[in-house]
Amino acid sequence: MTALAEPRAAPLLRPALSSRGRMLPALLLLPCLAWITFFFLAPLVLMCWRSLASDGFSLEPYGVLFTSPLFTKVMITTVRTAAITTVFALLLAYPLAYALTISGGKVRALILVFTLIPYWVDIIVRSFSWLILLGDNGMVNKALMALGIVSAPLQMLYNPFSVLLAMVQILLPLTTVTLFGAMLRIDRTLITAAKIHGASEWHAFRTVFFPLSLPGVYGAGLLVFVLALGFYVTPALLGSPRETMIAQTIMVEASQLLDWPQASAAGAVLLIITTSIAAIYNRYFSLDRLWGGSDK
Amino acid sequence: MTEFAAAAMASGAQLRLRQLTKAFGASQAVDRISLDVPAGAFVSLLGPSGSGKTTTLNLIAGFLTPDAGDILLDERSIADVPPHKRNIGMVFQSYSLFPHMTVAENVGFPLRMRTRLSRQAARQRIDEMLALVQLGHLGTRYPRQLSGGQQQRVAMARALVSHPRLLLMDEPLGALDKKLREQMQVEIKRIHRSVGTTVIYVTHDQTEALTMSDLVVVMHQARVSQVGTPRVLYEAPANLFVADFLGDSNLLTATIAHVSGDELAVEIGNGEKIRAARGTSAAAQGSRTVVLIRPEDISLTATDERTAGQDVVAGTIKDISYHGDTFKLDVALGADMLKVKVPRERGAGMERGQKVFLTWNSSVVRLLPAADRTSDASGEDER
Amino acid sequence: MSATAGRLGLSAAVLAVLIYLIFPVIVVVAISFSSGNFLVFPPPGFSLRWYESIAGDPEWVNALWVTLKVGSLSALIAVLLGVPAAFALVRHVIPAKALLSALILCALVTPPIVTALSTYLFFVPLGLVNTVVGLACAHAVSGMPFVVINTSASLRSADINLERAAVIHGAHPLWAVLRITLPIISPGIVIGAIFAFVHSAHELLVATFVLGGVGKPVAVKIWSGVQATSDPTIAAASAILIGLAIFTFASAAATQSLAKRRTA
Repeated sequence: MTALAEPRAAPLLRPALSSRGRMLPALLLLPCLAWITFFFLAPLVLMCWRSLASDGFSLEPYGVLFTSPLFTKVMITTVRTAAITTVFALLLAYPLAYALTISGGKVRALILVFTLIPYWVDIIVRSFSWLILLGDNGMVNKALMALGIVSAPLQMLYNPFSVLLAMVQILLPLTTVTLFGAMLRIDRTLITAAKIHGASEWHAFRTVFFPLSLPGVYGAGLLVFVLALGFYVTPALLGSPRETMIAQTIMVEASQLLDWPQASAAGAVLLIITTSIAAIYNRYFSLDRLWGGSDK
Repeated sequence: MTEFAAAAMASGAQLRLRQLTKAFGASQAVDRISLDVPAGAFVSLLGPSGSGKTTTLNLIAGFLTPDAGDILLDERSIADVPPHKRNIGMVFQSYSLFPHMTVAENVGFPLRMRTRLSRQAARQRIDEMLALVQLGHLGTRYPRQLSGGQQQRVAMARALVSHPRLLLMDEPLGALDKKLREQMQVEIKRIHRSVGTTVIYVTHDQTEALTMSDLVVVMHQARVSQVGTPRVLYEAPANLFVADFLGDSNLLTATIAHVSGDELAVEIGNGEKIRAARGTSAAAQGSRTVVLIRPEDISLTATDERTAGQDVVAGTIKDISYHGDTFKLDVALGADMLKVKVPRERGAGMERGQKVFLTWNSSVVRLLPAADRTSDASGEDER
Repeated sequence: MSATAGRLGLSAAVLAVLIYLIFPVIVVVAISFSSGNFLVFPPPGFSLRWYESIAGDPEWVNALWVTLKVGSLSALIAVLLGVPAAFALVRHVIPAKALLSALILCALVTPPIVTALSTYLFFVPLGLVNTVVGLACAHAVSGMPFVVINTSASLRSADINLERAAVIHGAHPLWAVLRITLPIISPGIVIGAIFAFVHSAHELLVATFVLGGVGKPVAVKIWSGVQATSDPTIAAASAILIGLAIFTFASAAATQSLAKRRTA
């Protein structure tokens, strides 16, 4: 039961209510943010700090990064591999995402399950399975030789081909689902309208659907690119030293050479690159749409 | 237990809103709304979406805290009282019945939460409520086994079981089809008369508001546009928005041509002068105004049958549509287009392009302010 | 180009891509049952010997145990912290919501090697290296986005009026959240928790740095195994991980459809 309050006289306007109500969202968010700050952001800051100072302040590790031929080559390889992976992932994901968009309930669910099952398998295993398939005695070579297409086993491992093949396969589910999400937002009645006005299925797709899907393509592409930059297991397992990517180099610096400043510097550079790209992504494809978008 | 004895004998609470204000970020949802609701009244908050009516309801319920202003229930401020302690009943558009509880358990929920009634007493109360909403036989069913109309009645029973002095209803009939809506409107009114609690009823359907309410609060862009009984709002709207929102209307821009004593004449678009009701507006000669004539107040004749004291204007029928019991005609009057509604026998035989004569009683010609200024009038208890 | 030809072409492309996706999984699982000694596909015969050798090897059993502990703990932390955060983001108006969202998600976009290195450098002075708790705390960070995203999705589609109906009729707001809303959104929470668990079970680099020594989890052991041996033990271990993931997902799906049938 509410206590009897004095009947209000003037002033009629009261200031806003209990700060208790205002504080609630902050209290709910605080533990989560505090945890992330402590266990994620603080270490990153520490890493950047360690890259600058070992015996004293020095930018030497960065200098090495930008001048050493090893690092430069690895960075170029990394960017190139990530870029090619992105292109192929998009190329393969697009028809899959499109199929998902136009499919009805059961078929869509089926395709979705198949698309997502590989996600349940970790990267090591998926990379490793290509090792089995593409080897000299692997199934692919056996099939090719049985069909008489080649007479000797093809060298399909430890080259860019195997690395890319595996990386695309690993990133494909995420690309597909991201594209699918973007495609769902396209108003399909626009396509119907185009067809009513005489456009063929292909023409309607090319002039209406495809251009509208491009923002989704760019978004998915950015995401995949960022993730591909950081790959470790796949190039390590399936690539030759020529295909070394930056994550492997950092690993070597840290765990074998124990050159913490150098590793930290390389890590910091990689971090800056991925953060910048993610920031660009966030600017155009705001992440907070995931919670329901615009503030109420 | 005195709480319950008292509640059992109480009917409706008096509700006052004082300068209630709420903004979401940059947009003002409720702007200094003041309202006086008499005890036991059935009051509708009527307005288009975005007018602030649902936000006002949520403020009264306590789901939102006002930025400024106060809410008084029986002269006691409840703005600081959390929603679960306000002793209010509420019915939602989506019924919001607890899916894992039976109908009886749903209805008994407020009793379990708010009171310490014995099982027997609670059972009795639940049965009373189910009888009130005419669902006595459905106590053991689950909500998903009920139709929409039945679910809404269960929701009402749940809202009323602890005899709240205020009942809030948020577009409760929005999810029902037309016939069912009309039946439920009658039901709700019957229950209201039985129980006597004060009801705040949010709707965007003006027919619903007009037929059910003792008092209607028309809301527009976060403010109160006008408060009054249905008849006052319909027949004597205070501004353009209310005139246009309720029912069909003809709104003609005009200039005040002549003011003297009881007489008021305005000049409308085609230059003709017609007499208007004196009304409350302080009209100055030469000032711009807007004239309201309801389509059903206009008589239509094929020949000039004017009688003394009546204004008659001539026009041409541009369009006719048949509505079963009436015909609706669009009649061109110079640059203006008048909508006219006539009974079926009158309209039969009229043709597009036909020249007709329109006439009406000058008392139905109302003047409105030329610019749409909505007031935040505090509630006037006009009965 | 006729519509049916287009459809056919699309279906063919889709099928090809799906095979490309699924096939390696099939390969690994098949090999794990191989009776042969080497990593050969298709396997020569059926045998459970590799599973037996794992079951008999205390190192493998221990590794699985560690993975379970780390995964469960990190998922638990992610749920305890992520669910309230989801409520805050979906139900309340918060300044700089986009920035906060980005903060929660940034763990997913950061290269794992960077996370691993920085976490290691941070944990050393804290004494968290070589501890299960330490790794769980680190994994919780990347598990949180999964919980927050899935819980938010469930929250958004849940009818807030159900909670309001309880509150206005006398229920304490916290009671209403726990007894009305939480059961409704539990599918989303559970899915998020599963994703967090699976992510932790698969994670390699942070685990290598933080717990790569004696009490290492399965992922680390598989990685060192892959580079060293060439017998199907690795395949069996991987298949176990796959099985674990599928099992958790299936049981979650089962409990949810059971819950749905109760409340529908």
